[in-house]
Amino acid sequence: MARSEAAHAGVDDVSGDGEEFDPIGTLTLIGIYFVILVLSWVYIYYVEFLGRDLVVVG
Amino acid sequence: MHIHDYEKLWLAVSLLLILSLIGTVTYGAVGPGVAMVADSEPTVDATALDEDERFAEPRVERVGENEYAAYVVAYQFAFQPDPLVVPANSTVTFYVTSRDVIHGFEVVGTNANTMVIPGEVAKLTVETDGPAEYGIVCNEYCGAGHHGMSGTLEVVSQSEYEGQNGGDGE
Amino acid sequence: MSQALETDRTFYDRFPDEARVVRAALLSSFLALALGAFFGIVQTLHRTGVFRGLIDSTDYYTSLTAHGVFLALSFTTFFLVGLFTWAVVRSLDRPLVNIKITWTWYGLMAVGMTMTGVSILAGFTDAVDMSADVLFTFYAPLQAHPLFYAGLAVFILGSWIAGADWFRTFLAWRREHPDERIPLQTFMVLTTMTMWYIASSAVAASVLLFLLPWSLGLIEQVNPTLTRTLFWFFGHPVVYFWLMPAYLLWYTVLPTIAGGRLFSDPLARVVFVLFLLLSTPVGIHHQYLDPGIAEGFKFISMTNTMFLLLPSLLTAFTVVASVEYGARQRGGTGLLGWLTDLPWRKPEFAGMMLAGLMFAAGGFSGMVNAGMNINYLIHNTIWVPGHFHLTVGTAVALTFMAATYWIWPQITNKPIYSSQIGLFQVVLWFIGMALMSNAMHAQGILGVPRRTAEPEYANFEYPAMLGGFEELNVQIAIGGTLLFVSTVLFIGNVVLTMGNPRVSGLAESLSPALSGPDDAPLVLDRLRLWVSIAVVLVVLAYALPLAAIINRGGLLGPGVGTYPVWLAPALDALSAAATAIGGAVGETAAAIGGVVR
Repeated sequence: MARSEAAHAGVDDVSGDGEEFDPIGTLTLIGIYFVILVLSWVYIYYVEFLGRDLVVVG
Repeated sequence: MHIHDYEKLWLAVSLLLILSLIGTVTYGAVGPGVAMVADSEPTVDATALDEDERFAEPRVERVGENEYAAYVVAYQFAFQPDPLVVPANSTVTFYVTSRDVIHGFEVVGTNANTMVIPGEVAKLTVETDGPAEYGIVCNEYCGAGHHGMSGTLEVVSQSEYEGQNGGDGE
Repeated sequence: MSQALETDRTFYDRFPDEARVVRAALLSSFLALALGAFFGIVQTLHRTGVFRGLIDSTDYYTSLTAHGVFLALSFTTFFLVGLFTWAVVRSLDRPLVNIKITWTWYGLMAVGMTMTGVSILAGFTDAVDMSADVLFTFYAPLQAHPLFYAGLAVFILGSWIAGADWFRTFLAWRREHPDERIPLQTFMVLTTMTMWYIASSAVAASVLLFLLPWSLGLIEQVNPTLTRTLFWFFGHPVVYFWLMPAYLLWYTVLPTIAGGRLFSDPLARVVFVLFLLLSTPVGIHHQYLDPGIAEGFKFISMTNTMFLLLPSLLTAFTVVASVEYGARQRGGTGLLGWLTDLPWRKPEFAGMMLAGLMFAAGGFSGMVNAGMNINYLIHNTIWVPGHFHLTVGTAVALTFMAATYWIWPQITNKPIYSSQIGLFQVVLWFIGMALMSNAMHAQGILGVPRRTAEPEYANFEYPAMLGGFEELNVQIAIGGTLLFVSTVLFIGNVVLTMGNPRVSGLAESLSPALSGPDDAPLVLDRLRLWVSIAVVLVVLAYALPLAAIINRGGLLGPGVGTYPVWLAPALDALSAAATAIGGAVGETAAAIGGVVR
């Protein structure tokens, strides 16, 4: 199976040099995900967590 | 090895994210001074807490200028003392241990939260603000009556605290 | 093997003996799913106060133990051993070396899980003096019946023989194909099983050395921090043990279903190597709020855990890019418009994609769980089960159900009874879990504890925000009910499918990767090297904490000295070293840095 997979990868023109397919849609989606992650983290760490009563200091 | 440029970019951004997360947690420790429950307290004999100077009589005690120690024992299925009364605008250190199984000690809606493990003493220091009343729950399953295991933390004004304790805080 | 041959012959046609094992494993997994889902709906309605008539609150914990063990250990592992058997045999294109050994491990696993299951369910009746109300984490000093621990040991032994079976089959293939790259699916199975051997050794030690002898009365007591730490040594990598088969499906099956091809075979290998290296030296992040463990060890564990995000973040890119390639092949255009050119009506596609989307959300709550001091906010609140119902409860479970719609015809030659029901079922799971998990996270922030029959208390009220406690309870109850209905539809669809006649023409082949195995550096296939590094990382992360824990509490618990006595000097030396935490932090960080580079 591995042999045939490798062989086919070579003949298929789309993958000729591997750079012809640019996953720009993926980059966009994952960029949006990244922004959501960062904003949620800032909110939960600085507002929800550090903003609470009885912060453990020792 | 061949990696697409976009994926290299994502790899770099991912590493940046990871370092930022570690950085945030480090900031929390260094800036606001959040400390972890750790191994600073020596172990105790969970089966002989009656003979332990701190836990034989679970209580709140004044230990310094505006500093208080709360010695708490968790057991199936309650906390002692209950309610736990501490003064407002003071520094309170909880010492929590268990005389049977593993419990949790969580002051609901706050950051005071720790595991309570027999043989170990969880130590956590907090600074109280104004008067308030909080629930305390056991947040680790500890047996069939677990859901009934709760208590109360009352943060009362300094004068009320003095009144209740007959001013014998020394 | 020619491409043509694979396209007209299913796995069932080519490997009937192996197909029988895969079917047996999958059916065992579905039985566990059905049982677990039953306890799930009982708990959802009980905990939220909607209906408490079926069980007493004191029996809630018996139900919770059953739910956790049947779903987290049994459903996942049985599906996984079936899937891995299929993946190894398919990708090596050769039968297993000895099918009797295969049936032996399947039998051991089935017997072991039955023993454990019986010990748990006996807790519902007073007629037998047996119970195991210890939840799936079985923290001492809560004790279960010996049958519970013995069953777990037999189950794990079975999984070890399963791994050996696949390794032997791989070695036999290697002799026949000395110069070929390890096929990707087999590579994934072998790295996952290696990780499993390292991880499960700790829980096996905990069960065999401490918990089983203790439950039999051979030893008086155990050190609760030690058995707890050994559990989490296993308990975090087990999460990846469940996830890796889902990743295998996302990397090797999903692109084909989408009409695309895997974007990068080399990166898939890198990801699995990273999981092998980093899955285990992180377990202490479950113990951030444990007394008796130094802050330095907790920090090391956090650093490792955060780097463990990397393979998942890379996976997100690679898998989405593979699917996007499929959409472009189907004529998809635009920055995001291609998303409409995907086979959303196929349950196997929609299910896996929705599972991946849920996993992305779970990634966020996982980051919070991993962040050492922010653990005060959510530790042991219902946020935590909210998180793992997104990961194991959706990323894994929904992927497995979706994959069943694709793989079941391959191993039976029977077409799925109804794709429409399948599609409805996976979407229903997504909606149900979105409701339930979101509300669980929100309640967690309010401070509502996990693992309790009655989360409402007479002496205080939860702070209100993000919707109050009661309103969130309603969301949890509705979500849990939808999940139960979804499971019933899934099981029903599988049962009706089993009644279908066998037909031909169901064979599916998997498309090759865009960037194939030949682009992957050979070093990636050197499993011995990766195993050695993984072991070194585990030793770095765990030797000192374990030594310190034993030194503090004794091998057999507080109040009892270290036994046997000759261990004491060695432990003293180790605990002296344990105080040099600063150095260890630096070393580990450097080692991790080196590995990542």
